[in-house]
Amino acid sequence: MGVTVETRQQSARWAAAWPWISTAARLGLAAVFLTAGGLKVGDLAASGRSVNAYRLMSFDAAKVVGAIQPFLEISIGLLLLVGLAMRLSAAISALLLVIFIAGIASAWARGLRIDCGCFSKGGDLAAGRTAEYGLEILRDLGFLVLAGILLIKPRTKFSVDGLLMGPADF
Amino acid sequence: MSKGGRARDRANARRVVEQQQAAERRRRVTMWTSAVVVLVLVVAGLVGWRVLAGQQKSTATALTTPPGVVDSSTAWSVGSGPVVVDVYEDFMCPVCRNFESASGATIKQLVTDKKITVRYHTVAILDASSSGTQYSTRSAGAAAAAAIDGKFIEYHDVLYANQPQEGSTGLTNAKLIDLGKSVGLTSTAFVDAINNKTYDAWVAKVTDTFSSRGYNGTPTIVVAGKLLQGPNQTVPTTAEFTQAVTQAAG
Repeated sequence: MGVTVETRQQSARWAAAWPWISTAARLGLAAVFLTAGGLKVGDLAASGRSVNAYRLMSFDAAKVVGAIQPFLEISIGLLLLVGLAMRLSAAISALLLVIFIAGIASAWARGLRIDCGCFSKGGDLAAGRTAEYGLEILRDLGFLVLAGILLIKPRTKFSVDGLLMGPADF
Repeated sequence: MSKGGRARDRANARRVVEQQQAAERRRRVTMWTSAVVVLVLVVAGLVGWRVLAGQQKSTATALTTPPGVVDSSTAWSVGSGPVVVDVYEDFMCPVCRNFESASGATIKQLVTDKKITVRYHTVAILDASSSGTQYSTRSAGAAAAAAIDGKFIEYHDVLYANQPQEGSTGLTNAKLIDLGKSVGLTSTAFVDAINNKTYDAWVAKVTDTFSSRGYNGTPTIVVAGKLLQGPNQTVPTTAEFTQAVTQAAG
């Protein structure tokens, strides 16, 4: 019986902690997307060249993708920041991250020597620098974990969702 | 049924209705917020697309192609040898300067010996590395003005000799004009082209052409249509370069 009480107390503590963990994940992921988008939005031509460096599509297509990408990143960052439709926003974040990871992995597999362009404008690496695909993928997997937390536990503090639905039981 | 029991039933019924109403409200909120999220992302995508189209249009409007350029009007041709060497360089790029100081003299000799024709593609991929002053574009635009006055190589060399640090603010326009003077570029056309950014849009076109050919880094050296790289995709050494030219000459 003592065990049951303890378990119940523990699960109650977890129930109280989850919204805070999710809030941290939400704000962290928002910062990631806002930074990534903000660094690219000032030079869309460079962003397009960075996409082109992956050699996955024609240059004309890469230019369009490179121009749209920073705006999408900033938007998803803002949506995460305010906490709107958390489950959907988290799912879209996860989808974007999976696409980024797939792109980096494919560049790695093909032996390209490029900067991933994740938090910069990317392109080929300067001489003497080595591609750090493993680290880049690991970092993106970390971000994917944040998105995963939000997918499973979308309830967060200080969110528009909470405001609209009422603070309790959603 | 007792009076208390009926009251309890009524309370229970009310709670069930309230729960149903709350669930309905959550469902509605989720639907509308999801719609807002999708709308925001679609609008963001459209904005990015429109901004790109606007930038491309203004580049096309501002485009002044300098006279005397070759290769779809994107390169300066030096020499008259049979082997065509394409050199894609950014004046801000330290690796380009290394390549120039290592192999520049050899290239000049091969030009003098009428062995090669060099096509210089002055791309600007490092505009982000000059603290917002877009040195890559400005220097390439200035080099275009120098080329029109017949001093491309002289100005090209003096730009590499005075290359600013990556991440600095680059050289000012006044300094670019001064460097021109030091190699005998004194025309008002040269000065005006720098101050009015006359050839900046053309530099963007040169850079786009470079990217559309699948190149991403500078320097990119192409000998007789073949990309030349050292082992592990490094910049070719002078020996590797000379060997490639000899091979291409047959």
